[in-house]
Amino acid sequence: MVEPLGGSAGDIYSFAVYRFFWVALAIFVFGSVYRLSKLVLRWRRVVKAEPRRRGAGAAIVGLIRTFLDPIIFSIKTKPYDFLAGMVALHLLGVIPLIFLLAHHVVFFAYWFPPYRLIAEKGIWIPLSMTTSTLEITSPIYPASTHFTETIWGPLVVILNGDLLALLAILGVTFKLGVKVMEQAHGLQHVRWSDYFSLGLLLFILVTGYAAARHHPLTDSTTLDVAQYRTLLGLHILGAEILLAITPFSKFWHFVFGYWYGKLHEWYDVRLQKGLV
Amino acid sequence: MMATQLPPKVLEAIKEGLSKVDWEGFDKSKVDALIAEILGKVDAVQLHYLENCVGCAACAPACPYYVVGEEYGPVEKAEHARHMYRKEATILGKLLGPLLNAKKPSKAEHLDMLVELVYRCTNCGACYVNCPFGIDSGALIKGLLAPLVSRAGRIPVLMAVFEAAERKRVFMDIPALRQIWQDVMAKAEQALGKPLPYDKEGADYYLMVNLADAMFYPGAVIGAMRILDKAGVNWTLPKEPLAFRPPIGAVVGFGDSAREVMSFVNESIEKLRPKNVVVLDGGFVYPWMRFQLPKVLGRRPSYKVLHITELVVQLLREGRIKLRRTDDPVTWHDPCQLGRRAGVTKEPVEALRAASSGFRLLPHHGAESYCCGGGGGIGCLSMQMIEMMAKLMGVDSSMLLSGEKEKEFILKTQEAWSIAVKRKIDDVKKSGAKTVVTACPVCMHSIEGGAKLYGLDIKVVHFAEYIAERLE
Repeated sequence: MVEPLGGSAGDIYSFAVYRFFWVALAIFVFGSVYRLSKLVLRWRRVVKAEPRRRGAGAAIVGLIRTFLDPIIFSIKTKPYDFLAGMVALHLLGVIPLIFLLAHHVVFFAYWFPPYRLIAEKGIWIPLSMTTSTLEITSPIYPASTHFTETIWGPLVVILNGDLLALLAILGVTFKLGVKVMEQAHGLQHVRWSDYFSLGLLLFILVTGYAAARHHPLTDSTTLDVAQYRTLLGLHILGAEILLAITPFSKFWHFVFGYWYGKLHEWYDVRLQKGLV
Repeated sequence: MMATQLPPKVLEAIKEGLSKVDWEGFDKSKVDALIAEILGKVDAVQLHYLENCVGCAACAPACPYYVVGEEYGPVEKAEHARHMYRKEATILGKLLGPLLNAKKPSKAEHLDMLVELVYRCTNCGACYVNCPFGIDSGALIKGLLAPLVSRAGRIPVLMAVFEAAERKRVFMDIPALRQIWQDVMAKAEQALGKPLPYDKEGADYYLMVNLADAMFYPGAVIGAMRILDKAGVNWTLPKEPLAFRPPIGAVVGFGDSAREVMSFVNESIEKLRPKNVVVLDGGFVYPWMRFQLPKVLGRRPSYKVLHITELVVQLLREGRIKLRRTDDPVTWHDPCQLGRRAGVTKEPVEALRAASSGFRLLPHHGAESYCCGGGGGIGCLSMQMIEMMAKLMGVDSSMLLSGEKEKEFILKTQEAWSIAVKRKIDDVKKSGAKTVVTACPVCMHSIEGGAKLYGLDIKVVHFAEYIAERLE
């Protein structure tokens, strides 16, 4: 059956791309409005004390420190958490992997055409570790025009989908391990939803990685297109589930919680109280 | 044993305080009603604290009590408020309950555990500035859990009694406390060589001296008066303290009491129309006067609020006072309420640098200052403190304890404090300072006690006393 938006919904891939995306997006929009409304409804006007004025310089330094201090503190006090959680999962996993990976750029541009700019300006990153490595190992000159078309030059040795996915998988696995350990210690702040959220991330990463490798799960020497389509479909479906649950889960921090929290702290601690 | 020599209104306040204490019982309907009431008042910022924690536990090492046990990490303590919030105020929490970690206290042991967690938080704000999401766990522990446990009866007797004594303004009717005040004022008069300018109208500076100031650092009270006198400014002070340590109610989570006391304090000060109010106490009194008071009144007060450290810097810059510079190996401990919670970190350092060429910063100072471990009421939870206060009140110390269970709680808290304070003492040791200057009675008590415990030979002095001793 041909869908109004093109394609057919006969398999997971088509279901994810042509149908569920809109459902996930609707849930995301509804959930976001719900979460923000709750906050607005709880907003109370209070009379504030006269702020301690330390000048524009202190305000800017305060803003930088508000965002930077927890990172420095984490490097000093929990270096493994920092490497796995912050570097592997967030700095490498989320930003370049989700938003810059060439395949994702093309996909996002399908739903949101201006996203093409990432491709046109060469900001996107390649998928393959092999072609990326050839950027610096190949004797052919100039290598960059032959193997990858990005602005990242030799950095693609790290900034490629394969490697970043592996690092992100390690990061998520580490975080899952931490949760298991914390729960074994009887700590109360471990929530069942933590396992669901991290498990979903792991599922998305593994299916994405497998699909990108065109992983032949059968012993066939030729590519099993149906299986590839299924893996890719599961990957996209997983990502759409993540989008749908974002307003109701810890993923909300990326959309709102982190930015609101840090900016509020900056206003409260640095601007109002004047901490330097 | 009730002391018969105490005036009836003091006995009445003690009785009222005691009536709130219940370390054994558990009234489910009362607890549920309290949770509904407390969570019903949650504002947008608290909602962010409740809803946006991802459980990364990055805050944990910031807390002075995390070294005592990982169950005392800020995220862990605050999570109990989130459990109740999910059950009380979220649709999924109501439907799925334990599956989403949504639950409310259902037996006495839960309250016992919660009160322990409340007194493993000093509200120092270190978790707040080190949280990647700007979540103030202290605001949940002291703002939501403390009122719940206190109003459900798990409140230390000493605090319940002094909260009532401050709110009912009977603390000065305790003969020994009145005597302390009178002795300090007499000594101050002697030091200044002239009568004290009590309750003058229209003064430029109103020195806010509370009874706790006179009790815990009389030298600082006299020192502040000498500074003001030397500067030749038009100043005044209250004939009698307006409060014991306002607002004690805030420490135990009695919001109404805190508002009542702060309104009274403000009204009494405003009658005298001072331009500035100078606060000596760098504990919770300062942020309450400086930042919370406008919220209580619904308007800004008619005067400016300054901490004594801010005033001294101002006077030094204006050349109204001069210091004899020494070379003491001295350092400054930032009281968390004055520094992280109220932004006064630069001023004391500037003044102390002017006072001594041997001044050095602590390895962890300013926003990263280590908490002394005594705040949030913990400093009052020791048998020595209970015995001292009982002696001053002329009552048996058993009267300031509800029973064995509370005593065990106090002893366990004291033990926890002795571990928590070590980090601070080690920091002081690394600095090589021989004198620690600070401005909060609890910090002074905690650092002195910690130094004794860990064999560090240092002197702990209030800022005003230290500066006054070096006035030219």
